[in-house]
Amino acid sequence: MAGWGSFYRGEGLEEEEEEQQEEEEGSEAVADQRVSGRDSLIFLVDASKAMFESDGEAETPFDMTIQCIRTVYTSKIISSDRDLLSVVFYGTENNKNSADFKHVYVLQELDNPGAKRVLELDQYRGDEGRALFRESFGHSADYSLGEALWACSNLFSDVRVRLSHKRIMLFTNEDDPHANDSAKAKLARTRAGDLRDTGIILDLMHLKKPGGFDISLFYRDIINVAEDEDLGIHPKESEKLEHLMKKVRAKETRKRALVRLNLHLGKDVVLSVGVYNLIQKAYKPLPVKLYRETNEPVKIKTRMFSGKTGSLLLPSDTKRAQTYGKRQIVLEKEETEELKQFDSPGLFLIGFKPLSMLKQHHHIRCSQFIYPEESLVRGSTTLFNALLIRCLERAMMMLCRYTPRRNVPPRFVALVPQEEELDEQKVQMAPPGFHLIFLPYADDKRNVDFTENVPASQEQVDKMKEIIQKLRFKYRADSFENPVLQQHFRNLEALALDMMEPEQAEDLTMPKSEQMSHRLGNLVDEFKQLVYPPDYNPEGKAVKRKQASDDQTEKRPKVEVSKDELRSHVQKGTLGKLTVSVLKDACRFLRLRCGSKKQELVDALTEYFNKC
Amino acid sequence: MGEGRGNREVLQDRTEELLPPPLLRDPCPPTAGLSSAALCSNYGQNDRHACVALGGRAAGSPEEKDAGGSRHLPSFPHSLPWLSFALSPLEPAPPERHPPLGGAAPGAPCSRGAARRAERSASRPGSSAMAPGGKVAIVLCLDVGFTMSSSSPGEESSLDQAKKIMTKFLQRQVFAESKDEVAVVLFGTNGTRNDLASEDQYQNITVHRSLMLPDFDLLEDIQNVIKAGSEQADFLDAIIVCMDLLQRQTIGKKYEKRHIELFTDLSSPVSEDQLGIIIANLKKTEISLQFLESLERLSMFKKMERKPMPWPCQLTIGPDLSIRIVAYKSVTEENVKKVWAVVDAKTLRKEDVQKETVYCLNDDDETEVQKDDTIQGFRYGSDIVPFSKEDEEQMKYKTEAKCFSVLGFTRSSQIQRHYYMGNQALKVFAAKGDENAAVAFSALVRALDELKMVAVVRYAYDRRCNPQIGVAFPYIKDAYECLIYVQLPYMEDLRQYVFSSLKNSKKYFPTVDQLSAVDSLIDSMNLVHEDGETFEDLFKPSKIPNPRFQRLYQCLQHKAFYPDKPLPPIEQHILEMLEMPCVVRERCQAPLERVKALFPLKEVGKKKEEKTAQDIFKDNEDEPSLKKPKIEDEGESFSIMKLAEGNITSVGSVNPAEDFRILVRKKNADFKDVSQQLINRIDQFLENKGSQYYMKGMDCIRVFREEAMKLSKVQCFNDFLQALKSKLEDKALSDFWEIMVQERISLITKDEAEGSLVTGEEAKEFLAPKEQKNETLPPTDEGGDVDDLLDMM
Repeated sequence: MAGWGSFYRGEGLEEEEEEQQEEEEGSEAVADQRVSGRDSLIFLVDASKAMFESDGEAETPFDMTIQCIRTVYTSKIISSDRDLLSVVFYGTENNKNSADFKHVYVLQELDNPGAKRVLELDQYRGDEGRALFRESFGHSADYSLGEALWACSNLFSDVRVRLSHKRIMLFTNEDDPHANDSAKAKLARTRAGDLRDTGIILDLMHLKKPGGFDISLFYRDIINVAEDEDLGIHPKESEKLEHLMKKVRAKETRKRALVRLNLHLGKDVVLSVGVYNLIQKAYKPLPVKLYRETNEPVKIKTRMFSGKTGSLLLPSDTKRAQTYGKRQIVLEKEETEELKQFDSPGLFLIGFKPLSMLKQHHHIRCSQFIYPEESLVRGSTTLFNALLIRCLERAMMMLCRYTPRRNVPPRFVALVPQEEELDEQKVQMAPPGFHLIFLPYADDKRNVDFTENVPASQEQVDKMKEIIQKLRFKYRADSFENPVLQQHFRNLEALALDMMEPEQAEDLTMPKSEQMSHRLGNLVDEFKQLVYPPDYNPEGKAVKRKQASDDQTEKRPKVEVSKDELRSHVQKGTLGKLTVSVLKDACRFLRLRCGSKKQELVDALTEYFNKC
Repeated sequence: MGEGRGNREVLQDRTEELLPPPLLRDPCPPTAGLSSAALCSNYGQNDRHACVALGGRAAGSPEEKDAGGSRHLPSFPHSLPWLSFALSPLEPAPPERHPPLGGAAPGAPCSRGAARRAERSASRPGSSAMAPGGKVAIVLCLDVGFTMSSSSPGEESSLDQAKKIMTKFLQRQVFAESKDEVAVVLFGTNGTRNDLASEDQYQNITVHRSLMLPDFDLLEDIQNVIKAGSEQADFLDAIIVCMDLLQRQTIGKKYEKRHIELFTDLSSPVSEDQLGIIIANLKKTEISLQFLESLERLSMFKKMERKPMPWPCQLTIGPDLSIRIVAYKSVTEENVKKVWAVVDAKTLRKEDVQKETVYCLNDDDETEVQKDDTIQGFRYGSDIVPFSKEDEEQMKYKTEAKCFSVLGFTRSSQIQRHYYMGNQALKVFAAKGDENAAVAFSALVRALDELKMVAVVRYAYDRRCNPQIGVAFPYIKDAYECLIYVQLPYMEDLRQYVFSSLKNSKKYFPTVDQLSAVDSLIDSMNLVHEDGETFEDLFKPSKIPNPRFQRLYQCLQHKAFYPDKPLPPIEQHILEMLEMPCVVRERCQAPLERVKALFPLKEVGKKKEEKTAQDIFKDNEDEPSLKKPKIEDEGESFSIMKLAEGNITSVGSVNPAEDFRILVRKKNADFKDVSQQLINRIDQFLENKGSQYYMKGMDCIRVFREEAMKLSKVQCFNDFLQALKSKLEDKALSDFWEIMVQERISLITKDEAEGSLVTGEEAKEFLAPKEQKNETLPPTDEGGDVDDLLDMM
């Protein structure tokens, strides 16, 4: 049961897993060769007065926008820090842009997201932020949206690196900006057309406007929806940050196919699909080596040389070997690849099965997702759609043999249909297509030594039901942040910005003990009375056993501070000077049960020493 | 021969205590009359005892048949008895409980040979590796007497076959790195070398290798050193030598089981004493079928076996309620056990390849710097933040301790399957031997099940590991109840992509006709057969061994012997088990054609150009002889490679249909002769009831029909089918006949091929049920002989 010890990609994982990473990344690169380059995104924000007006308690549209952009920045830092981001205001009094357009202010040029940029954005949040904004940039209703768009397209063309994906997100709550100026309106439409012609996508993130936001007045001709994201319907305006976030998040990352391949229904009935990762484990990034003197990154080179002669070895001077039955068996490197080759890449249909046949616990890998791909086989989408419609109606899945690319042995997958789903704001929550669920081979299943069943009585079951009902909540896949990653990036943020102390990330994975206790009331005691004899202690027993068998591991926490020292700290009230990890170890050593927060640790230790 | 008896009597006591019932056969292959259900349940209780029970039953059947005296002994040229004697352990092992295997659900007939084979090899309970911790002592006892080397021309000798089986068996052991020890005893050798030998006793028996771990030296010995002798020896004598060896060499060591595998053609003279009856039974050739299956089973490498590691913890619900639990990995992506070591191409030594890492600045000279002068840093967007390992360690998130804490409960429908993360599913039980925990745990599992709810938990393996969020859902089986835990994603792991609507797209919306074509495709390709009573899943991936490992071991083993040769082709049976079941393949042809006709699909891009070039080339090709078979064979799982190699000389038992197909295409092939060989195989399969045999038989018949049509040998097939029909009726093999009817395999009609006189109606009539005859059957049954009764079981 090891293998989650490290969060670093590659490090400490078995070769196989590394290989898999390679496989996945490799194919991603291959699939998108024709669009190699960096993804870029400009936030074009309306800064005219209306954006700063709030109706009562609610946040101003501008505040929502800035928070939203900030979230995109921090998430980009975690997930794709190579993407280029930019923030441009229009409707300002001052201006700053390469073409000297009036009322267009480029706050941040297209560049990687970084800590300083996040801080800069933070300045303009809240009431103080509004004041600062007015002071720094001012407001003006005399802007031309066409010029703002032009400034954006200049930003794209000023970037030296190749851009693969160019997108502008336009945040505004004015549905008809040039109602009285047809020349400006015309210019805006012309510029929007230019953008469309150069492959720049323009999304409208429209915000709440008193009386409603009417897209048909002006923006219908301006926005340019990506061809592969056409929902056939416009999302509603966002009244809440949550809604805006959803809209933005759905479009912030470029959709990237892992691989495009054929789905073979039969010998000569073939359609093509793109395979996507809708879920992919986010890892801590790998550390980079820096030169101590200058903090500049160093290059790492690995060389192979002969232990005998000392001469350099080229890859071709080596072979690969494994030892079995006291014999070393040697293969060429190419042969070790070749032996993994079975099929040419593709999905090969074996047949259909009722969805109910998919065993819930037969899980070995993250699922993938397929969507038709017209660019390889024309006509794929209609056939795909027909399969999807019928599989959904009949609750069937497709069983396929799957080879993502050459030199990858096949696996069987279940293609589970998913119906397209939009939420109330008309934002896509579930795309149409099939989830590709990896199925285990015989080797992947293990026999376990199960514990004999001692059935509970209905009374006991019913009591547990009450407990369960009290602790109900609605699960959402995005409810939990990864505390390890969050802490890591907050630490980095603190270091990057010379903050005194990193912000403590709230650990959402910890049970909310107090609330749970409160909600459960007497139920736990009642349940215990029903199932446990009075003298039974589920915790005590385990500890006892541990002492007997696990003596060594129990000793592991190094006590850097002796008991006497601790006592003196308690007496002097200086316990707080010790680090959390020392306090934790001390608690563990003294077998004190408490939370992991510093105050909890201090409290537990204080209580302990005051008692004895 | 008579002289041997004295010795045997000396050993008599020992023999009796070692050999509980007189003869035990390899307990693994499903035996006629014994359903797989019986096999499973027996194994479920106790490995060792199950052997005895099965052995008793199996050993009994030839005797009964003997009494009936009506069964003839088919003598197949290939037949070679492969016998196996299980000896009871020196110290009786405590009965071990084995969980029923996931797939051991009895009674589901499988209509697919390959899948079934895989199933047996992959999840067969009670195999030695399953034995908890124990190792097995095995003596391979091989007859090398002069008859073993003789063979009809073009056929493998019995010795070669035996060596092949032994090799397969040992290879499996070697690659599984099994702890089982193997000895080799040869009899019929020119010389004599064994501990019992004296003057004229136990002559021509050689202990070739003592009990030890098998290795490639042994495999090489079998291939190159072990040759046929010019003598013969009594196999019962040899068995006694084996038993003696087992006794001597296992003293003081613990073995789960001790085992003798005997390979002989039974043609050496045997002394007729109290074991005579066994010999008579051995001559009954049911065993030869066992051998066939044995080879098949052995051609799969062993499933990866790992000992489940218990993970004890406490399941907590809030701060005040905890239940002691234990968890095991139940499903996890198994990886190759060993990694490739890099060796020097010349010396082939690992030590000769050394690696050196250097650090250099990113300047023009690539100035080298010392490792000590480097520090660790991380990218934070556009910034690079120096962050030493020590600081990182100090500041990082720390997991408090191992835990399995419920955060709350949610509707099971809210956890969608495609959200599952990680590479494993855990099974969580109440702690062992704690009845209080078991009751509390059961209450939780059942309450969740009844409410259709699941628990969302924080799970940390230990304090060095990062915490996970996951789902624990109830899983209730007859034998046990548990929670299954699977990891769920963190917010950071999700990627929200928008895809164009298919629902709201007029352009891609299928027509009514198109939808109905897809409907009939789904119908024809439904892998699950259900008719109210029976339920049959034609394709179970979880019963198939990972072809990746099979292929790896095949290549390693090939390279171990032929280091300079290229990799061998993938074995046919591996490819077959990855294919769509034949039944489905045939069934879906018409619906596929319809889909093809109704959905215009056009390849665009590069691939198209290549194809047109090929097409042009094809058009210019004037050799119909080359072209025709190519078109016919497309999509058929049959390797041209083998045809080219020409090493198929007769219809074997492993891939009879394929062998047949190759043989009839050979130049100067005698269709009649080859088809007779195939018919013999079919008879053999039918003798040995059981769906996997039936399916093999079915495949043979199907191929026979196809080839007969192609090669204008219609009469040959039709005659066979007529004969088969009456045979099936006589032998009460109506279940097989039902499959024939279901599959609509009838006589070849004149519409299908020239040279047939059969009309379509006659062919239909041929398959029509004969109700009257069924009614008259029972009375004859009562008066039937033992043979028939046996067949009815």
